[in-house]
Amino acid sequence: MSNPFTTAQLEAYLDESLPDEQMTAVEAALRDDPKLTEQLASLLGRRDAGVHSVGAIWRRHRLSCPTREHLGSFLLEVLPEEQAGYVRFHVETIGCRYCCASVEDLRQQHAATDLEDSHTRRQRYFQTSAGYLRGDE
Amino acid sequence: MPDSSNPDALLVENIRLGKPEAWNNLIAQYEGRLLSFVQSRLRRRAPSEDVVQETFIGFLTSLPNYDTRRPLESWLFSIAAHKLTDYLRREGRRPAIPFSTGDDSSGAWEQTGNARGASSIARSGERRGLEDEAVADGILQQIDRWREQGDWKKIQCMELLFVVGLGNKQVASKLDITEQQVANFKFDFLERLRKIVRGSRLSEDIFPELYE
Repeated sequence: MSNPFTTAQLEAYLDESLPDEQMTAVEAALRDDPKLTEQLASLLGRRDAGVHSVGAIWRRHRLSCPTREHLGSFLLEVLPEEQAGYVRFHVETIGCRYCCASVEDLRQQHAATDLEDSHTRRQRYFQTSAGYLRGDE
Repeated sequence: MPDSSNPDALLVENIRLGKPEAWNNLIAQYEGRLLSFVQSRLRRRAPSEDVVQETFIGFLTSLPNYDTRRPLESWLFSIAAHKLTDYLRREGRRPAIPFSTGDDSSGAWEQTGNARGASSIARSGERRGLEDEAVADGILQQIDRWREQGDWKKIQCMELLFVVGLGNKQVASKLDITEQQVANFKFDFLERLRKIVRGSRLSEDIFPELYE
């Protein structure tokens, strides 16, 4: 049984960096396709043996990700046309999970609909984690 | 010594000194994008917030290992990805992948012919990091050059080929260019990476894609 995923996509699955709908599709396929499990295990074995892949390095270092400022300018539609075209491609066609998350966050900030919620969340994150702060330097 | 031109490094330095306002700043800057990242997978707000909470705690406990030359956002996303994976496994949604599935597949990745299997090369994590950095720098140099020249099509082409893993024909169709153009772009890109691998005296065996 062959699966529709490329090796690069399966590597991204292992890193939790595929677009979310593709992550879900791989998870669903894994339940019915033992060959896919073997393929992923083989990829893990390659990694453990030290084999690199260009796609994994590209993703891990986020080599073509636009800056946060560029993503903001993209949302405000103030980027030059060609650059905006690239950002759109990176977010919509490649589906970069990290940039999609940033874009969504910026969109919410621009809409300013979530201010009350985010203030409460930040307080809670702070209160539950501040005990781990160590002033040991 | 923190780099004053790198605000994130200064922020982290202050967190290392135990300053609560610095920690509060980091949370305020990054929680929104981390929450979007996690929620795109979980779809439910409450468990997504829990995973982000674990991410921040994970950041503080891993702080001694954090190298401020590494982008802070990427470090936080990588912790969030690990916490998310753990959560999905606990929920039974993400099937575990056995490390090895036996004789049939364990050697499937090995190079054939005269090439030496990469498994025969004992290398430390540090060495792997250096290999990874060398190739990442090489790719970044090319991307920067293409950006400066406004050559966005070449970046798109390489991203579809290597990050998504599409074939030349599919890439040509998506970008509305010819297969020959895709092949030419790819050849130039790989040739430059091969030069970097040779110049850095790295083993060719560990970058099989460059020699296919």
